[in-house]
Amino acid sequence: MIETKNLQKAFGDHLVLAGIDQHIDKGEKVVVIGPSGSGKSTFLRCLNRLEEPTGGEIWFEGTNITDPSCNINKLRQKMGMVFQQFNLFPHLSVKENITLAPRKLMGIGDKEADERAMELLKRIGLEEKADAYPRQLSGGQQQRIAIIRALAMNPDVMLFDEPTSALDPEMVGEVLELMKELAHDGMTMVVVTHEMGFAREVANRVLFIDEGIVQEENEPKEFFANPKNPRLKDFLSKVL
Amino acid sequence: MKDFLWGLIEPFYNAVFMNQGYLAYAEGIKNTLLISLMAVAIGIIIGVLVAVVRVISSKIRGLHWLGKLCGIYVTVIRGTPVMVQLLIIYNMIFTSRDSNPLLCAGICFGINSGAYVAEIIRGGIESIDKGQTEAGRSLGFNDLQTMRYIILPQAFRNALPALGNEFIVLVKESSVASVIAVSDLTKMAQYIGSRTWDIVPPLVVAALCYLVIVMILTKLLSLLERRMSRGDRN
Repeated sequence: MIETKNLQKAFGDHLVLAGIDQHIDKGEKVVVIGPSGSGKSTFLRCLNRLEEPTGGEIWFEGTNITDPSCNINKLRQKMGMVFQQFNLFPHLSVKENITLAPRKLMGIGDKEADERAMELLKRIGLEEKADAYPRQLSGGQQQRIAIIRALAMNPDVMLFDEPTSALDPEMVGEVLELMKELAHDGMTMVVVTHEMGFAREVANRVLFIDEGIVQEENEPKEFFANPKNPRLKDFLSKVL
Repeated sequence: MKDFLWGLIEPFYNAVFMNQGYLAYAEGIKNTLLISLMAVAIGIIIGVLVAVVRVISSKIRGLHWLGKLCGIYVTVIRGTPVMVQLLIIYNMIFTSRDSNPLLCAGICFGINSGAYVAEIIRGGIESIDKGQTEAGRSLGFNDLQTMRYIILPQAFRNALPALGNEFIVLVKESSVASVIAVSDLTKMAQYIGSRTWDIVPPLVVAALCYLVIVMILTKLLSLLERRMSRGDRN
């Protein structure tokens, strides 16, 4: 579904991604971990070209999305993204946040979009917050709404950029719970996170990125029990 | 005592009521408001366009020249007195017989205000967190759609106090239009003064009219600000 070939990204002279070759299948849940500044967020943000890669190719559903002539906006509709800072639109109500993109980009009628939004809100138990504004909500509630805002576009893959890193500890659980549900429903997911428990439980494959390359990848059990790369060993000894 | 009071009031009474002078003020107020409204409308349209072009053109290759052009517009307009601009435009373009000084003033003040509004809106746009643009783009909106649905509404709200200030300045600045023979409030006051042979009272009356207009405008703006800050409630 997503394939990167020798993906590179440089900021000036600084090479953040030094050639990443990955193949992510439909329905796969890939968790990306690594120390800060390792390039893991950059890798994720390159996948929908929020960061423009400076080398290599990215293929998504048979299209080379690094080709300048491709319609990246159309492709992004199929790639939901969730940010560390939630990035809900503060001037719109919760319901409007969810319906904006479906109404304007998919041409769905107001009524249908509203119904779909309420369905999604019901799923996360926040239907009574439909008319509230983002700033009136807790971080956990905001992040769960950000997730269903992305889901409202019916994406084929969901990209998570440290979705729980800005949350108070007691709110991390509710967001992870929703992500687990998504995983269970078969959503293809790429998750950059520091939540090792989540990686162990949900991932099909864990990537360890450091210094711009994938230093090690494995299925989670073996990955955590038997790390081979010395950097990974060092990293795991610090975070576990 | 009574005579003394009357002595104080009489010039103002004459300034307003002699020869139905109040009709002249009404005409003046109407023209001042017309110029201001025209200028605000033109100013907002130009300002938003220029601000958006300046922000977006820096991101898109091949559009740099358009951003530069807008930059020159802002520099020239802000760097020259509005009265000189008004005289140049009036004498250059609107010298034909059927030219309408009122329209000329409205357009000129609009072009002038556009430069200031552009800078205010640009500041508003740049005050919005980059994450908002990224969220919009990640949903599939293009640059312009993101600007329209997500960034501009927020930028506008942030810029509202400064915009209000600009519009208040505009109402008062429109008095300069009297130099091209527009019958605005200031011109009308001067006209009445020349008829009653007493120039100060009508000018004071005109000043009071400006004050009331500005106070009403301030009130309206604060109502608008409150309405637009819905999302800020905690």
